[in-house]
Parts: sequence; structure tokens; C-alpha cells
Amino acid sequence: MKHLIASAGLAVAGLTAPAFADAHANAVTLQLQWVTQAQFAGYYVAKDKGFYEEEGLDVTIQPGGPDIAPPQVLAGGGADAMLNWMPSALSAREKGLPVVNIAQPFKTSGLMLTCWKDTGITGPQDFKGKTIGVWFFGNEYPFLSWMSQEGIPTDGGDDGVTVLKQGFNVDPLLQRQADCISTMTYNEYGQVLDAGVSEDELITFKYEDMGVATLEDGIWVLEDNLEDPAFVDKMTRFVRASMKGWKYAEENPQEAAEIVLENDETGAQTEAHQVRMMGEIAKLTAGSNGALDEADYKRTVDTLLAGGSDPVISKAPEGAWTSVITDQALN
Amino acid sequence: MTVAAHRPARLAPWGLALGGFVLIGVAFLVGWQLALVLAVWLALWAVNVGVARTTAGTWAAPVLFGLTLLILWELTVRLFNVPGVILPAPTQIAVALAENTNTLRADFVQTVLKGALGGWLIGSTAGIATALLVARSDFLRRGLLPVGNFVAALPIVGTAPILVMWFGFGWESKAAVVVVMVFFPVLVNTVAGLADTTSMQRDLMRTYGASAGQDLRYLRAPSALPFVFNGLKIATTLALIGAIVAEFFGSPTFGLGFRISTEVGRLNLPVVWAAIVVAAVTGSLWYGAIAMLEKRLTFWHPSQRGRR
Amino acid sequence: MTDTQISAPGAGIGRSGRIALAMRGMHHRLGPVLAVVAALIALWYLAAIPMNAQNSLMLAEREGIVLTPATASERRNMSGFALTLAEPSQAVARAFAQDRPRLPSPHQVLAELWDSTVNQNVTSKRSLVRHAGITLAPTLLGFVIGSLAGIALAVGIVHSRLMDLSVMPWAIASQTIPILAIAPMIIVVLNSIGVQGVLPKAIISAYLSFFPVTVGMVKGLRAPSPSDLDLMRTWNASATRTLLSLRLPASLPYLFASLKIAVAAALVGAIVGEFPTGAVSGLGARLLAGSYYGQTVQIWSALFGAAIVAAALVAAIGLAQRVTLKRMGLS
Repeated sequence: MKHLIASAGLAVAGLTAPAFADAHANAVTLQLQWVTQAQFAGYYVAKDKGFYEEEGLDVTIQPGGPDIAPPQVLAGGGADAMLNWMPSALSAREKGLPVVNIAQPFKTSGLMLTCWKDTGITGPQDFKGKTIGVWFFGNEYPFLSWMSQEGIPTDGGDDGVTVLKQGFNVDPLLQRQADCISTMTYNEYGQVLDAGVSEDELITFKYEDMGVATLEDGIWVLEDNLEDPAFVDKMTRFVRASMKGWKYAEENPQEAAEIVLENDETGAQTEAHQVRMMGEIAKLTAGSNGALDEADYKRTVDTLLAGGSDPVISKAPEGAWTSVITDQALN
Repeated sequence: MTVAAHRPARLAPWGLALGGFVLIGVAFLVGWQLALVLAVWLALWAVNVGVARTTAGTWAAPVLFGLTLLILWELTVRLFNVPGVILPAPTQIAVALAENTNTLRADFVQTVLKGALGGWLIGSTAGIATALLVARSDFLRRGLLPVGNFVAALPIVGTAPILVMWFGFGWESKAAVVVVMVFFPVLVNTVAGLADTTSMQRDLMRTYGASAGQDLRYLRAPSALPFVFNGLKIATTLALIGAIVAEFFGSPTFGLGFRISTEVGRLNLPVVWAAIVVAAVTGSLWYGAIAMLEKRLTFWHPSQRGRR
Repeated sequence: MTDTQISAPGAGIGRSGRIALAMRGMHHRLGPVLAVVAALIALWYLAAIPMNAQNSLMLAEREGIVLTPATASERRNMSGFALTLAEPSQAVARAFAQDRPRLPSPHQVLAELWDSTVNQNVTSKRSLVRHAGITLAPTLLGFVIGSLAGIALAVGIVHSRLMDLSVMPWAIASQTIPILAIAPMIIVVLNSIGVQGVLPKAIISAYLSFFPVTVGMVKGLRAPSPSDLDLMRTWNASATRTLLSLRLPASLPYLFASLKIAVAAALVGAIVGEFPTGAVSGLGARLLAGSYYGQTVQIWSALFGAAIVAAALVAAIGLAQRVTLKRMGLS
């Protein structure tokens, strides 16, 4: 019975989907890849300061969370565009979901591995025999790629690393269940410091410094939609206003943090935390005007392909990004 | 001798068939795919009604029902072109099951044998032991049960992260979550069972001069058994769910919960559903095993002696 | 075990009448509960000492106090009990007011609960009452849907041999499927049909709450004794009439027992349903937000908030049960 209703519903959706697309030529739904926080300040700023309105757009920002896979939401038609890390999006593309990158506001990666100094770790080769916390749900690809390049197996034992599926907090490090955990410059690292750990008790490895960084937080859409000129026009205006929001946020971090706080429905965020996060995010978006730099793209793809026996993607993707939208938006 | 004129009216089979055809016709207006799915469903349902009347129907009917679901699922996914990253077809899931047997077997050992079974045994034993204590003291019963109600109402998605923080990422924390979930239903049911004796039975034991131990062994324990099994059956489903959900909040890189959550992130939906199938089959078999044990040990109870 | 009867000795002395009797019954029930709760709270305080010992000693070390196992790496493998015995005064002094305790003390949880309920405006985003209300909507809707579905299924099972044989095994199997795994898929599919808001979460609640009602009602609808059923036959009652006049009334005690279980399950379902919809607001969102930002006490207060809501719902059903069954003479 469930299937009958679902199939009837899907039939209705299939018949009426084109109608929906036409009727909302100015409505954009953006699926964030995590909960409302300063990591997405540019979009909230653009909304609150009226940049989207100036372009004639009606934008809905959908927060993400631990159980939401943005590619899945995009596939189900629940959003027009999603934010995603490039490894995860390229992997989805290889699985048969044709997503295309239309803009890249983040120039550098904020991913790090933070370890206790008293474990004796001084370099990547010291990871052998240690326990490392890794996020999954799309965030494990840079780590797996890195370990593959270093030649360290990830299935435990004295010669490999024992990987823990880390939740989205820093307790595994503080409770000493892991020797190292994955952190972002703008979020978890600050939380570790907040918990009273001083910087000289820790040793941190930035993926950028290790040469295994991948691009993060790009804007991705479904390839089929790009054949619709109305959609392309809508996205062009969206990207233009979003980048305006990002540059404003970079220059006014305090105000941006306050806007994010106002949009946070859970009431759990604190101003101090968001201001610090905004400061760190500004370092990552600086240097990008929104257009994807082909050299950066190539570097990410090479990192993923160099994964040795277990590469994240098996061959270089084709048509995974387009400059059509950013060319028009930023001229 | 039946009074034919007063037999309750039954919808004649041709009436039902006519209704079915009308429904299919209406569905045809929406789309031929919907009509086909409906037609297949109604046809299989009609067959199953017939099967249910035969003696083989006891096992054949549920099997046919399940097959109907699978066929409808496959048809729906293929005919309506549902994207594979949202809902894969049963054939794809079967392929994923076959390709990932070793991984799933390792996951099974971690989640079911270590986490769920371990926690279930500890939790049930603790529940029964506590019930034996509680049943002797009226004061404890009146005090502990409401508090236990409150503890049982703590949602697992809140207790799991806390228990993972306390017991680490291994199977121990999953077993701890299962213990917390299983303890209270078993306790409540056993207490109810131990009290389910009539005053005449209790008086009879007194006239025999039975000691407390004999009273427990010959009267209260047997009468508690049906309730204990009720609690144990509930506990099996809770144990499996508890172990899997606990893995969502922190685990090593194997386990059914880990497999489900990470493969969703990798959009490997067939593997996700293969893991779900393993979990569902395990849970059903476990429940069935307890039910069979119950039938052997409590054959005398009205619920086991035929139904109306 | 028996309530004080009107004819009991001493009944004529002092107050009698319904309220007085209820109050006398309350002492009967409240006393043991308070004693058990007091004992549990005392145990809780005691347990907090070894559980927080690791953190206590680390805080002491950061303040410059010299401890017996002097460095954190030496203390890492010692259990909480061993640490408490090694440095009892430090462990006890700092166990009860930590920022990130492993086991918050009861007064910390109570303070946080008070702070987020009484001290907050009900419409504020930080108010736990508001979040509880947001979770309550899909809970109640899902509970109603699930109960109606459960009753309908039970009626079908009792009257149709086919449903009797085939539905029950699959209903049991459906409950062994982990809901946390399916919830995101249900949400995505429903969103793609355009069903959003309270209804998807209510459907997940209904999924969890229909099963106890089905099982209980099947038992209840089969509860009338054979002689009662024969009596209905001698009166030439149709199946429908037997259902309405005999089976349904006889099943009410079983129905209420399963409704209590179902309402608690519906609350868990609503909380689970919040995760794939962005964990933006509701009790589940508060649980997760506390987890992300390492605010342990916030997790505990959200947890207790959820349990209090569940207890209140179960008590409400209990009240309905007492009133209904009393009027029917079945108490």
C-alpha cells in the first residue's frame, strides 16, 4: 500500500515537475551542507541585506545536518543548488548523479588533523598504530586519499591507522578515545581550545600544508537543469548576489556573525563562537571571486586519483564544472 | 444446521472483481504505469486470498505477501524511473548483498553478536533479577516502577551519544545502549507476571507450607513465563535497533549502523538496503526463535492454544 | 496494594470524600517514589566523582597544582576510580561544576533546565519549552495517524484470514528496520512529492507507533470469551455489530496500555524525524546542537526535557484511561 501511494505520488510529481520549474523562475532553494553557522555567512548576508531581492530572487536557504546528504536532496528535487565538498560531489557524479560545479567561493581548505603532542606524533608516518577520528558522510575522502598516498593502510594494526567514525564534536580527542581527530580551522579547533587545551599540548596538520587539500563548499547543480536558459539566468543572478554577500561578510565579520545568529533556529549558537568562525572563514574565501580556478580543480582531481589501491574516483571526470554561470555573473 | 437466510452477506467475488477493474480503469487515466502496478497488485492479492484458505496458507500467505511487495517495488522503480540514489530496485539490492557478503558478515558479528546479543543478555538478566527483588517488596515496586518509566522514556538518540562518550567507540557502548533500552520492558513484564497469580493459587501454596523459594519455583515463575517471553520478544526488536542506532553516534569502521550511515553519505543506496535487509532478517529470525521457545515452554497458556 | 476503602477502619475520622481519598492514596504512592528518587540522586552525586576525575585532575594540573601521577599521559590509562583514590581532594573538589563534565551533577542539569524553560521567553529560540512544542506537533499528529492505522490493521487482522497470516510477520519485520536509517529516505521521497513541514515527521512517528497499537488491539479484539461471542451469534449479530458492541469495548484496556507505549514511541519518532530535516528546531535539534558544540549539560537538559514530555503524555493517556474505564465499569 505504501508503494502504491509512493508510486502514485511520484507519478504526479513526474507529470507536474516541469510545471513547478516554470512557475518559479525566480525562486531558488539552496541546500546547505551543515547547520546554520558562519560557514555559510555569505548566503545569509546576501539574503538579509537584500542582495537577492535586488536581483529579483526569492531564495530559501535549507540548513543541512548529520542525516542530510545534499546530493540526495538535489536528486529528489528538493533543492535547486547544493553546497558540497568537491570529492563528495565528484564521487556522486561517478555514481550516476550528474552534478556540475557552477561556482567556488572557497579558495583554500580548512581541513586539519589535530593530535595530542604527548602521543609522540611529529609527522604523517607516525600515524601508524594510532587511532584517528575521521568524519564520514562525504568528508572522509581527503583523509583516505592522504593515507593512500602515504602508503598507510586504514584497517588498524601496528602498521596502519585505526579509524574511528567521529561524531561531529571534539569529545573523542578530549576523552582520549582517539589520538587525533579531524577538525576544521573555523570550528572544531576552536572548540578544543575552548575546552581548556592549550595550543602547545597539540600538534596540527593542515591538509593545505600537506599538499592533499581538496576544494570545499562549492555550489553544485544538476546537469540537466543547465540546459534550461531560465534556470541558467536564475543561477547567474544567484551567484552574483551570493558573491556580493561573501565579500560583504569578509569585510564585516561582526555584522555577518550577528546575521547568522539571527537566522539560527536552534538558539544554540553563541556570538563569540560565530565571530571567531567568521574570522576563520574569511581567510578561506579570500582570494576567490567565485569562479572556479582550473588549476585548483586539477589539483583536487589529482589528489583524489592518487589514492592508490582505493581511489575516491576511478577516472578524471568530464564536464564536472562549468564557467558559464560565473563568466556571466562576474563580468 | 445453518439458517441460510440469516447468513451475513458477503461481497460476492464478482463484485470485488468489478470494483478492481473500475479502479484500474481510473488509474489508466493517470498513466499506464500506475494502472499496470495496480493491476499486478490486485491480481496477486486475489491469488493470495485463495492461498490463505488452503492448509499450506499458514506459511505460503506471508511469503506471497512479501513477494507481492517486492514485485510491486521493482515495477514501481523501473516504470517510474525513480533515481537510484533515492530508492534502488530489489534486484540491485540483491546484487549488492551478493557482492558485499564478507563486509556484511563482519558488520553482523560486530553489531548483532557483540553489541545487540550481548546487551540483550545482560539487560534481560538484570531485568529479571531486579524483578525478583522488586516483587518481594511492595515499597520497592511502587517506588522503582515510576522511576523506571521515566528512564525508559529517555529517547535513545539522546542516551546513545552519552553512552558512547562513557564507554568508548567499541561494541561495549552499543551493548550499554541495548541494556538501557531492554532493562525496563523486561522488568515491567516480569513484575506483572510474578504478580499474575490468583489468590486461590497463593492460598493453596500456603496450605502446602511452601517456602518462599518453593512458592517462586512452582507457582510464580511458571505463571510469569508468558509475560517474561512477551518482554523478551519486545526486547529483541529494541536490542537490534539500539545497537544499530548507537553506531550512528560513533563506531569503529565496521558494523551495520556504520555501514548504513556511511554508505548513505556515499550514495551507495543498494548497499544501505542490503544492510537493512540483513538487520530485518536477523531481527525476524531472532523474534521467531523466541516465539518458538515460548511455544514449547508455555504450551499451556490460552494464547498458545488456538485462536478465534 | 489496595486503596483505602470508604469502609476501612479509620475512614470516618478526618477527611473523607474523593479528594481526601486521593490524597491518602498519594502518600501511598508518592512516598516510595520520593525515597527511590532520593537514593538515585545520592548515587548520582557519588558517581560524578570518579566519572569526572580525569577532567578534574587535568583542571588541577592546569592551575599549577602538582599531582601524584604528574602528567596527563601518565594518567591516561588509569581508571576514574584509581584517579579518585590517588588524588581524592582534587577529584572531589572539582567534580561538580565542570564546563564539560562526563557526568553533569544533578544541580547542573536542573539549573540548565530552569534556565532554558522558566528564564526564557516562550517564543525565544533558546527556550526549551518552544522546542518541546515544536516536537509535540508531529508527535501528536503521528500518534493519531499511527493509532488509527494500528486499529484499522488490527480489525483487518481479526476479520480476514489473509491479513491474519500475512500482515503480522511483515509488521514485525517492519519494526526491525532501523528507523534512523530509513528516515532520511522517507523525508527525501516525501519532499520530492512536495509534502513538507509537519507531515513527514508525523509519518515517521506513525511508523513507530502503529505497531504497539496493532499488537495490543489484536490481543484485545480477541479477548472476549467464547461464550460472549456465541451469545452474539445467537442474537444473529453480524461481524460489524459484534465488532462494535463486543470486541471494541472489550479491547479498551489493551488499547490504552498500548497507547501509552505508542505515544512514547511517537515522541522518539518525531525526534528522529528532526535529524534529516535539518535539525533546525525541536528537542532533537537541541540534543544535536548540544552535541556539536560540546555543551554536555545542554544535552542532558534536552534529554530530561524529552523524558518529561513523554511522561506527561503517558500520564495524560493514563488519565483518559482511568476516566473511560471507570465510566464503563471496567476499572
